[in-house]
Amino acid sequence: MRAVIVEDLALLREGIVALLRENGIDVVAQAADGPGLERIVSGHKPDVAIVDVRLPPTFSDEGLRAAIEARKRHPDLGVLILSQYVEPVYTAELLASGEAGVGYLLKERVGEVRAFIDAVQRVAAGGTALDREVVAELMRARTASGAGDGALGLLTPREREVLELMAEGRSNTAVARALVVSGGAVEKHVRNIFAKLDLPASNDDHRRVLAVLAFLRA
Amino acid sequence: MLLFVSTAAPALSLPAATRWSRDLLFHCAGVLTAHIGLALWVTGVAVSLSLAITYFGLIVALGTLLGCRWFARVERRRAGIVLGAPIAERYPPPQDARWSARLHMLLGEPTTWRDFAWTGLAGIVGLTLSSLALTLWGLVLGLITLPAWYWALPDGAELGILAIDTLPLAFAATAAGLTLVPLAVWMVRGLTVVELAWMRWLLSPRPVAAGTAQTPAVTPSPAATTDAAPGGAAAAQDGPPLALPLPLHVSFSLLIGVVMAIIWAATGAGYFWPIWIWLGLAISVALDIIVLRAQARRPGPERWLHLHAELSGMLAALLVILWLLAGAGTFWPFFSLLGLAVLLAVHAIIVYRDRLPLRAREQALVERVDVLTRTRQGALDVQAAELRRIERDLHDGAQARLVSLTMQLGRAEERVAGQPEVAELLRRAREDAGLAIAELRDLARGIAPPILADRGLAAAIEALGRRSAVAVTVDADPDQRPLPVVETAAYFVVAEALTNVAKHAGGAAARVHVQRVGEDLVIEVADDGPGGADPDGGGLTGLRHRVEALDGTLTVTSPTGAGTTIRAQLPCGP
Repeated sequence: MRAVIVEDLALLREGIVALLRENGIDVVAQAADGPGLERIVSGHKPDVAIVDVRLPPTFSDEGLRAAIEARKRHPDLGVLILSQYVEPVYTAELLASGEAGVGYLLKERVGEVRAFIDAVQRVAAGGTALDREVVAELMRARTASGAGDGALGLLTPREREVLELMAEGRSNTAVARALVVSGGAVEKHVRNIFAKLDLPASNDDHRRVLAVLAFLRA
Repeated sequence: MLLFVSTAAPALSLPAATRWSRDLLFHCAGVLTAHIGLALWVTGVAVSLSLAITYFGLIVALGTLLGCRWFARVERRRAGIVLGAPIAERYPPPQDARWSARLHMLLGEPTTWRDFAWTGLAGIVGLTLSSLALTLWGLVLGLITLPAWYWALPDGAELGILAIDTLPLAFAATAAGLTLVPLAVWMVRGLTVVELAWMRWLLSPRPVAAGTAQTPAVTPSPAATTDAAPGGAAAAQDGPPLALPLPLHVSFSLLIGVVMAIIWAATGAGYFWPIWIWLGLAISVALDIIVLRAQARRPGPERWLHLHAELSGMLAALLVILWLLAGAGTFWPFFSLLGLAVLLAVHAIIVYRDRLPLRAREQALVERVDVLTRTRQGALDVQAAELRRIERDLHDGAQARLVSLTMQLGRAEERVAGQPEVAELLRRAREDAGLAIAELRDLARGIAPPILADRGLAAAIEALGRRSAVAVTVDADPDQRPLPVVETAAYFVVAEALTNVAKHAGGAAARVHVQRVGEDLVIEVADDGPGGADPDGGGLTGLRHRVEALDGTLTVTSPTGAGTTIRAQLPCGP
């Protein structure tokens, strides 16, 4: 797998590069600002770009905007955003730029090496990886704002939990482990979620993404 | 004679015979006009003042001013007798025919007031000088012609101790008179120069440049500007008021005074009439000094106040001297002096009103408020910039280092897979680092929410609404971004208000409305909860302080059972 990384702080950039290489991911190029992303993506055609939200020259959401722009030109590019903050608005904008191959993680998740590598691989393969904090915050807001509206209101509390974990990008097995239930139980919940959200029959991976999007857009 | 060469060159260039006859004619006419001027002035001023409270007084005052203008025109022609041509005249034409415009022009035009001043002065200075001139010539002529008429007097003509009652004596007087002729010519010349100096100062048009400040609305006609005053009158404008230097004025006055006293002594030392001449000369000199002093001062209201004070002092002294001369009986000048004092006091109060204790304090407070407003704004701007810098430093410094630490601990964990105890220690260390990061994140968010800096107020409030634990509809559309410090305060008002709604009005829906109203940013957060919020509750007090620091207001409306509305109004400049 080929990855590029855009991060302005050399300390973090080099650490992440070392981490990825140790885990068999080929980091083909690095950049330190927004315009650099487009340059290395068109030059190296990577599978995934790991991008810090805050980048020079503006030090605002430069990285996010550069990533969305890059996805428009390279629809197959997976984008994993790293941020110091949980910002659902940014997550939503990122997801709006395309359904597959997006991730939004807090920076400290790089310390959970296994999970981080998983997230990178999943995004590169067209899946999603949302930080559990982002999901939790969204879920809290949804519940509070009279969750009765729309199809999400039809979900049982358990089904919501499963959906949250799916939004984080976990597989059925991982969800089952997290909820301490059997794999079969999780599969049943997932089928119910798909049915209640009225998602068309297609391959499971795609439906999972659609379910998460439905959740985020609610 | 040479002494006056510099002051009246064209007049002096005339043949001597023509010159003295013109001087004499000038003073003959002067005695006549001075009486008219004095009568006009005294009557006009007295009637105007006594009728001041009626419209009639105003009409008389206007009539007096117009009369003074007419008088000034006559006087300019009289000056022409010695100057060869009348003193130039410049009355700006009225800019439109309306009555009010004409009135405004009349009252606003300095020439009007100089004409008025000369009309009054002609009665004092002019009359004294001209009378002196005629007295001198009368005396000389009387002496010369004495042989023709001494016999007609019952006891002969008395000249001091000498009574002339024989023809030889009379012819001796003629001889004396003839020798006195040059002296008379010389002295009358001096009197002419003094009077002309006053006339030129008051009656010549001011040079345009010097006059601009006083008459901004007046544009002199081209004819008037080219109509230069003859006889170097224009040159007299920029210099001291009198073309005659002060020491010369004083010494000439002293000389005249002494001569008059000698004449008085020579003519029998009867009633001491020279006192009146002395008085007139003293007034002329005093006015000269006062005007010179006023000119030496900086232009401005204080200059006029000083002029007023000195003129009042002179008038008061004059009144007291007149009272003394009149026998020092009942102190009749009392009310005049009182009036002068009151006028002067009123003038002083007007000029120094800003220094009155009450006004001074008010002024000081206004200035203080200005300074405080400015410095507070500066402090807030600095504070906002500082906070953003701290937030950036946290992001690039401590937070980045902790992330790096987490990462290295994670990598270490991977490598000690065979030693579960070490792995456990590393995991805990990593989790602690993660908590530290989370705490720093909350800290940074409290200082300056990144989305506010990135996307502005409307987006940040939208995000707050989406993240809130209550259902929120947001209607925020400030057309341009206010100052960071205002933006941050508005953000926290909404954040705190929404937190309160979630805390105290569970299940309620909230509506956030942010709008620019004039120069203010108005933020309103309303919910449909149970109401009855304590406006001085902890959270709200903190918010109020934040808003008031920006000169804003925070109001909480929370009737029980009818929801709560928090409204903040933040000034954010034009």
